Amino acid sequence: MKIVAAKKILKANDQLAAENRASFDAAGVFAVNLVGSPGCGKTTLLEALFGQAGLAGRLAPAVIEGDIAGSIDAQRMDAIGVPVVQINTEGACHLDASMIAAAASDLLGEEGARGRGLGTGDRGPGARDQGLGIGNEERGATPMAGSSSLAPSPQPLAPSPSSPATRLLVIENVGNLVCTAGFDLGERLRIVVLSVSEGDDKLVKYPAIFQSSHALVVTKIDLLPHTNFRVQRVADDMKRLAPAAPVFQVSALRGEGIPALADWLLHRAAAR
Amino acid sequence: MHEIAIADAVIEQVQGEVRRAGASGQVTRVALVVGRLSGVNPDSLRFALDLLAKGTMLESARIEIVGQNAFCRCAACGDRAEIDDLEARCRQCGSSDVAIEGGRDLLLESIELEEC
Repeated sequence: MKIVAAKKILKANDQLAAENRASFDAAGVFAVNLVGSPGCGKTTLLEALFGQAGLAGRLAPAVIEGDIAGSIDAQRMDAIGVPVVQINTEGACHLDASMIAAAASDLLGEEGARGRGLGTGDRGPGARDQGLGIGNEERGATPMAGSSSLAPSPQPLAPSPSSPATRLLVIENVGNLVCTAGFDLGERLRIVVLSVSEGDDKLVKYPAIFQSSHALVVTKIDLLPHTNFRVQRVADDMKRLAPAAPVFQVSALRGEGIPALADWLLHRAAAR
Repeated sequence: MHEIAIADAVIEQVQGEVRRAGASGQVTRVALVVGRLSGVNPDSLRFALDLLAKGTMLESARIEIVGQNAFCRCAACGDRAEIDDLEARCRQCGSSDVAIEGGRDLLLESIELEEC
């Protein structure tokens, strides 16, 4: 017998991503998928945005950190007081929508994550662990153990009906310019990070991830004098691949360009 | 890219379609469409499917992969050319006012199975 399917492969992921997006919208959460190669400065950029640029005080951010192993990035978020959940993919080269659904329910509280109501997130640590474990035993999503910022949250991500403020959820994807392009996580914005030290030819070599992004952030511009990186070439290539996407040039270490990026993020979150 | 994850999704989807059709048995043939711009390498996908299909209803299935062409259509001069990678500039007139058509799909076309 023959079954004619004619269906998209990864439809399951796309469906889950659509559910995530609907849940985030219902809970007033603005989700950003931050992608880029390992070492391009994604976490340092977040530290600069939340810390120096003061976004933490204005958007009540939370972060989902995706890494193959370890919780180094989550510890860095924890150190600056940003609620964080670490996902260890244990070998998988990208995050998928099901991992985000599990991690977000931990960060947002079950109700907030499912968009049914505006949850208080007031669950005990045991409930959190349990919530994370559902359907995710092998992926090993783990909250920061003993982290004070993950205790019943003083700043629940899901807003109460009286405070319709938008909250920012940054999903820092596994460092990878290839696989991350194929998996929608339910984000409203995809931001790709490219560091000066990676070279200016990456848009030509990995077009899919750049074409699917809403903004490009060129990091480590303090290194420009020491390299042959041409910012103009990157800007031209991005214009060709994603004409509407702005290109930001930043040095997270020196703070250069960070305020402009923070303003743009605030603007996009408000226009949600 | 992540052909293992794609193969995993294909197997799950085939199993789901077979269940939905109320059928059972061994799958003899799976037809897939892989767009040239989808980022999926057909050879790697085949290799991953070989590995992951063991012990499933797809174990002895023939995997057929059909490519899907991509085109670059120019709004300035009207040219439409087949392309192999994401290029957003018209080869005829150099305009960047172009639209990419096709080549991005990853589809499960059809499944054939021998019912038991």
